[in-house]
Amino acid sequence: MSKMGERPLKIRILGIFNDGKPHWNYEIVEIISKEYKMSGSYESSLINFDLVELASGGMISDVEQKMDTEGIYKKNFLLHKYVITNLGKEKTAGACALGRN
Amino acid sequence: MVDNVISLNEIRAKELSRKFKYGYMWALFCAVFWGIWYLPGTAIWVLNPFDEMFAAIAATNGDSLSLVIVAVLITALNALTCVIALLLWNAVLGKHKLKELKRTIFDFRKCSKWFFLAGICGMTAVFGSYLAMGFIGAAFSAVAGLLYPVVGSTVARLWYGERVSRRAAAGIIIIVFGGISIYAGGLVSELATGSVQWFGYLGGLMAAAFWGIEGAIAGKGLDLAEPDSALTIRFIAEAGYWWLIVIPALTLLGFPMMTYALSIFEPLVLVVLMFAGITFGFCYVTWYKSFPLIGVGRGQGIGNLYGLCAVVFVFLFFGTSPGWAIIIGGVLCVTGGMLMFTENTDGISSLRGE
Repeated sequence: MSKMGERPLKIRILGIFNDGKPHWNYEIVEIISKEYKMSGSYESSLINFDLVELASGGMISDVEQKMDTEGIYKKNFLLHKYVITNLGKEKTAGACALGRN
Repeated sequence: MVDNVISLNEIRAKELSRKFKYGYMWALFCAVFWGIWYLPGTAIWVLNPFDEMFAAIAATNGDSLSLVIVAVLITALNALTCVIALLLWNAVLGKHKLKELKRTIFDFRKCSKWFFLAGICGMTAVFGSYLAMGFIGAAFSAVAGLLYPVVGSTVARLWYGERVSRRAAAGIIIIVFGGISIYAGGLVSELATGSVQWFGYLGGLMAAAFWGIEGAIAGKGLDLAEPDSALTIRFIAEAGYWWLIVIPALTLLGFPMMTYALSIFEPLVLVVLMFAGITFGFCYVTWYKSFPLIGVGRGQGIGNLYGLCAVVFVFLFFGTSPGWAIIIGGVLCVTGGMLMFTENTDGISSLRGE
């Protein structure tokens, strides 16, 4: 697990999505925060922004949204559930995530 | 239940438009920083040691070659001050960014190779811009570079299938006409006087072509990296190419590169160089930040407004007003950029096809 922590953030995030299952943004933020020893709302937002960038790049796809009424991540904003795309899988297999394990 | 669905859709649309707004905002900041960069970029030529260096090399090798060699030293110093500005930027963003920078550099094979490649294109483009500034002038240099989105959009489309809409294509065509105006205008008047500054025109073309390719390569690498790290690596790469390869090579060929490089330590020269580094470094930060949010083509389209900013700033600070061909060309290029800018964003939540 500690070796995983050495990869650039986006590559590690794609690695998590590579299980093919959908993940909520707050779940990813939690996993990454733990692995990379990040904390606080500022660093959480950095992780979330990586998700936004990965989604706009077409690596992951935003499949479901719900209002964060309870403040799980950010109250009254949208929570996003993403799933890896074919492009994301290609990247993960070829150019990126799991090659160095 | 139905109410809920509608409000969710509304929030969704709002969030998407926010993403685009941020993307466009970054791109606009890029335009301002990039435009301002032509001020220190112009001023630096008349300062010592560059002025003396030009005279010394011109005495033995002629004016044209001398100007090219001075442009090399200025571009190399520009890269170095950009590295300083960006390392500071990463430090300000916090320890996470510094760690991420290290992680990204060491992931060379998968990740940072794209930025080392972008560095090669970037160095050619910046060098071209300085050539255009030195031989012809800042306004020409700025406006000639405006053609880069044409190259950027074409490469992004051919290489990784980024969508170029009809509207964007129309914008690109207008920009091309703008480019023709800039080049034809300058060339016609120079052909009449009999002395054509070919190096300057070549520099303008280098800037446009390589900035476009750089953006497309960077877009490729950004899939797997954070822009703040990516960009710092791209400038470290550029600085490396200049200081480890080009400057030593020119020194071996007998040009006094190091002599003059070591005499920059005067307050005014350092301030102007740092100013160039900060404006140029940050124009890249904001440029790269816009790409994942609005796509390479559009990011470059808005960044294009830098041409207008540069012409205005140069006029305000140096009082040089550009010729009509440049103004008309600049307006066409900006209009083309705007066409790409105001594109309807509905349904483009992901910018790339699968």
